[in-house]
Amino acid sequence: MSLRSNDRQWGSVAKFFHWVIALAILGNGTFGLLMDLAQSPMQKINWLALHKSIGLTVLALVLLRVLWRLRDRRPQEEPAPRWQQWAARAVHGVLYVLIVALPLSGWWFNSVTGKPLQWFKLFNLPALAAKNDDLRHLAGTTHEYLFWFLLLVLVAHVGAALKHHVFDRDNVLRRMLPFGRPRNDATTRGESR
Amino acid sequence: MKRLATLLALALPFAATAADYTVQPAASTLGFSDTFQGEAFNGHFGQWTAAISYDAANLATSKFDVEVALASVKTGDKDRDGALPGSDFFDIAKFPKAHFVSTGFHQSGALVIADGNLTLRGVTKPVSLNVTFKPQGKGATLDVTGTVKRLDFGVGGGDYADTSVIGADVKITAHLQLAPK
Repeated sequence: MSLRSNDRQWGSVAKFFHWVIALAILGNGTFGLLMDLAQSPMQKINWLALHKSIGLTVLALVLLRVLWRLRDRRPQEEPAPRWQQWAARAVHGVLYVLIVALPLSGWWFNSVTGKPLQWFKLFNLPALAAKNDDLRHLAGTTHEYLFWFLLLVLVAHVGAALKHHVFDRDNVLRRMLPFGRPRNDATTRGESR
Repeated sequence: MKRLATLLALALPFAATAADYTVQPAASTLGFSDTFQGEAFNGHFGQWTAAISYDAANLATSKFDVEVALASVKTGDKDRDGALPGSDFFDIAKFPKAHFVSTGFHQSGALVIADGNLTLRGVTKPVSLNVTFKPQGKGATLDVTGTVKRLDFGVGGGDYADTSVIGADVKITAHLQLAPK
């Protein structure tokens, strides 16, 4: 499996970005919702610090991912009705926007609450906005609801991938699986577009 | 006899005790700074009193006696200001005041250092402060800086003892506007 993508499947760099970002967002989102289970204020401080560090890592990864994708090839589209191809593109676009917006909204939330922002205790990042108690609630709610919205869009994304895999028996999911190999059946591939 | 009287008269001003001053609260500040998650923050105390006797030429009779109402702490952050008076930090229910009394002054190069004892959260430990005293008309300005190790006094012990999150060294900065008593 090569680093770059080819006509038939995603390369290992694209797969790495896809799955690491997916796991980090789902894990960190769940972690974020569980903050109130902290046993002490200091534990919550440390949990939040970890949550922020992971979120910043996602932000850095998604920026690298976009840069990589702009220079990488893309596998050919699997045959599908036009509306499905359009829907897939729309869902992918919204997912990219949400993956960037989610950590950015957290950064904004952190900024208006006036808290420091440190990446794994190594270095600090500046605030995106001035401290503002009036925006605290709005920013926190925005950050949380962006995650719920992302989960909703993810249902469509995962649902479509499984539909392709189980019913269409094509390569849409296989070509993105970490150690997956595309089916070697020409009839399932067809011509793109 | 006459010569002795003259000598005494000459010597008297030098033997006199250091001048007493009163603090002008509106123009004076008592602050501190530390770091939280790698970022510096500043705090200050709104209520404190200081009895200052000082004479640069007569350090032996100079004296600082400062009392700080710890409940008057402000650091510009709601969560922090809520936590500081609690039992994990100042524990003002048991120890409402901090107290610094100088035990002596010494010169270190161009610097004057006030040695003394700080009592905070029921613990008394020696603390040294750098003193910059500038006469100003009949009054003076007095700037004091120093460092206090918070864990020496159990401020932020237990869970909060992690100095990679809350810095170990708290820098003290005071600016006093003094008027003659």
